Amino acid sequence: MYKFIKQYAETMTNANIYPMISLFIFFLFFIVLLVLVKKMKKERVTELSNIPFEKDELTNSTL
Amino acid sequence: MQVEKFYYDNKIVRNFAYATVIWGAVGMLVGLWVALQLVFPTMLNITQYFSFGRLRPLHTNAVIFAFVGNGLFMGVYYSLQRLCKARMFSDKLSYIHFWGWQLIIVAAAITLPLGLSNGAEYAELIWPIDLAITVIWVIFGWNMFGTIIKRREKHLYVAIWFYIATFVTVAVLHLVRSGELPYTWLKSYSFYSGVQDALVQWWYGHNAVAFFLTTPYLGLMYYFMPKAANRPVYSYRLSIIHFWALIFLYIWAGPHHLLYTALPNWAQSLGVVFSFMLIFPSWGGMINGLLTLRGAWDRVRDDVILKFMVVAVTAYGMATFEGPMLSLKSVSAVAHYTDWIVAHVHIGALGWNGMLTFGVLYWLLPRIFRTELYSKKIANWHFWLGTLGILFWAIPMYWAGFTQSSMWKQFTEAGQLKYTFLETVTYLRPFYAMRSLGGTLYLVGVVFMIYNLYKTVRAGKLVANEEAEAAPLQKEYVKHEGEHWHRWIERRPVQFMILSLVVILIGGLIELVPTFLIKSNVPTITSVKPYTPLELEGRDIYVREGCYVCHSQMIRPFRSETERYGEYSKAGEFIYDHPFQWGSKRTGPDLAREGVGILKKTNGWHFRHFREPSSISQGSVMPGYPSLLETDLDISNTEAKINAMRTLGVPYEKGYEKQAVDDLVKQSKEIAENLANDPQPIKVSPKKEVIALIAYIQRLGVDISKNKTATTNK
Repeated sequence: MYKFIKQYAETMTNANIYPMISLFIFFLFFIVLLVLVKKMKKERVTELSNIPFEKDELTNSTL
Repeated sequence: MQVEKFYYDNKIVRNFAYATVIWGAVGMLVGLWVALQLVFPTMLNITQYFSFGRLRPLHTNAVIFAFVGNGLFMGVYYSLQRLCKARMFSDKLSYIHFWGWQLIIVAAAITLPLGLSNGAEYAELIWPIDLAITVIWVIFGWNMFGTIIKRREKHLYVAIWFYIATFVTVAVLHLVRSGELPYTWLKSYSFYSGVQDALVQWWYGHNAVAFFLTTPYLGLMYYFMPKAANRPVYSYRLSIIHFWALIFLYIWAGPHHLLYTALPNWAQSLGVVFSFMLIFPSWGGMINGLLTLRGAWDRVRDDVILKFMVVAVTAYGMATFEGPMLSLKSVSAVAHYTDWIVAHVHIGALGWNGMLTFGVLYWLLPRIFRTELYSKKIANWHFWLGTLGILFWAIPMYWAGFTQSSMWKQFTEAGQLKYTFLETVTYLRPFYAMRSLGGTLYLVGVVFMIYNLYKTVRAGKLVANEEAEAAPLQKEYVKHEGEHWHRWIERRPVQFMILSLVVILIGGLIELVPTFLIKSNVPTITSVKPYTPLELEGRDIYVREGCYVCHSQMIRPFRSETERYGEYSKAGEFIYDHPFQWGSKRTGPDLAREGVGILKKTNGWHFRHFREPSSISQGSVMPGYPSLLETDLDISNTEAKINAMRTLGVPYEKGYEKQAVDDLVKQSKEIAENLANDPQPIKVSPKKEVIALIAYIQRLGVDISKNKTATTNK
């Protein structure tokens, strides 16, 4: 397996394409991430962001 | 449901808190000492064990791994237990982790002054210590994941994601960077050479900043800042974006340390693009931190803990704005090798890591000792001394960096370089003095803190086992309707770790693998030959003394550099350099062409220069190395070194190791004879270390000039 990869990698000429592909993949990943995060429900977000606090600990939360 | 009673382990938190305070003071004191060495080079160069080249790595390692390391463990052990509503997985593992880490620090503090170094920045520690770090790091991870798995809170809060990413990435970085071939019980050579070693080094070096100094501290910010402000984080959504974007982008950014070097151009461009994009998640995180104080800004005026945290997060914002800017090739052309970079990292270390650690200490110690902080007034003094200290530290260094760079690049109307290198050095000395003043202020602040915390601890009593209650987790998780995907991953720590690993590996692999495998990336130069045994021994002295701390061996393709140093450096010149020694700072001049052309000096010059640099270069800040003139070269490992180098791919002929010592003795006699025939004759035994170092220095740049002669002769 390693030999195959090595042989392939040693002879490849257009290494520049790989960063471009990964950039594209993660561009998509972040778009999807943004959309999904945007769709999160407000109550859930509030609940998650309150994890560090004990019940009734927050005295002046704006949420 | 029945609630369970359990106890948080505060003793381990206290131990790490004490360790961060003690090692922080030590690391900063060493920093101040080396800063003063540049102001008073002769007076403070008292022994070879405490020379600048050996102490500067001690300073950086102490601040990164001892001060910030213990600080992050303190914060992780406190917050992880509370966020998981569980005691740490195993007290025994916590104990081994704590004492193991302290032993590693002590080992570093002993070996670095002894000159036992791998010669790679922030990865100087020798291979047995590297091995110990691996074991202790695994113990830390085991303890952390054990705790996460037995938690009573289903969801992993954002701070824990940062801790997981820290654990997994530091493990990968450490393993790859520590690839080395031991040739004795203490010493080894890097697996990688030249360009590849450089790329591995800065992939590691930059991500050590990212995943040791940044991500764990962001985790602390996401826990302690809401706690101190008594309000939840500004935007949990933003924290999800912040996390994934940050860990993905950071891992690619390393090559920005190698702009205009012999690194293949595509890798440089990759580094620039990703470094620039980093500004977005970094600032997202900073804004998230600062806006957590929404509606509580009035409290910042009175609450000293919030003051520390605000300065910390602001410093994070400044450093992460500056970082992407410095990664642009045109800015790097000016800033690289100068004190500008030193100023930049100290905004991060003193501002972000330092001030956040202090804020957390002031918040946490009174709580686990069930008491109030002894004196808010002293804490306020600490705050102002710290903040002013950072300014007094950084401003002279920014100024120095910019001035230095301008002086290096200035030409006269006749087209000659306007300043000698030495003139730029002497010009900077007042700036180094001002920087030391800033460092002193900062350190005095820390002394105030130590007194304040000591009095606080004395007034209280440690609650070693703090009682808490929580309901156990339900075996079967009831999925909420329309549940968000991120909640799914937040319940699964192991999958979370794997996903983080995949995200960081993509960047790492795409950068490293092609550089290793594509032969056209490092064009070979036929005239470049392996070092002679004497030169190899000399090179090891160069590494031991930490010469790379002040001298680069990498000439960038600028007229101002080729005029001063000679032809710009090529990738093929370094193929036998295990480890590479390109350096990252020019407190002294570049040495890549020291043995040829306009820079070539006599052996006698080098001998006298090593004995007392200022006797030859008046105003030089380089320490003298009289011990090299007195100590015999240790040739007991020469054979092993040749064998190790051959294993790593350096083409020494089979059986050459048997002949190596004879060749070494012959070459050293020639140099000693040459010194005896100097216009001012020098009588020195050929066995002395200085002979080997002279041989190495005289070899620098020679091979490529031979190539040129060969081509011209054709």
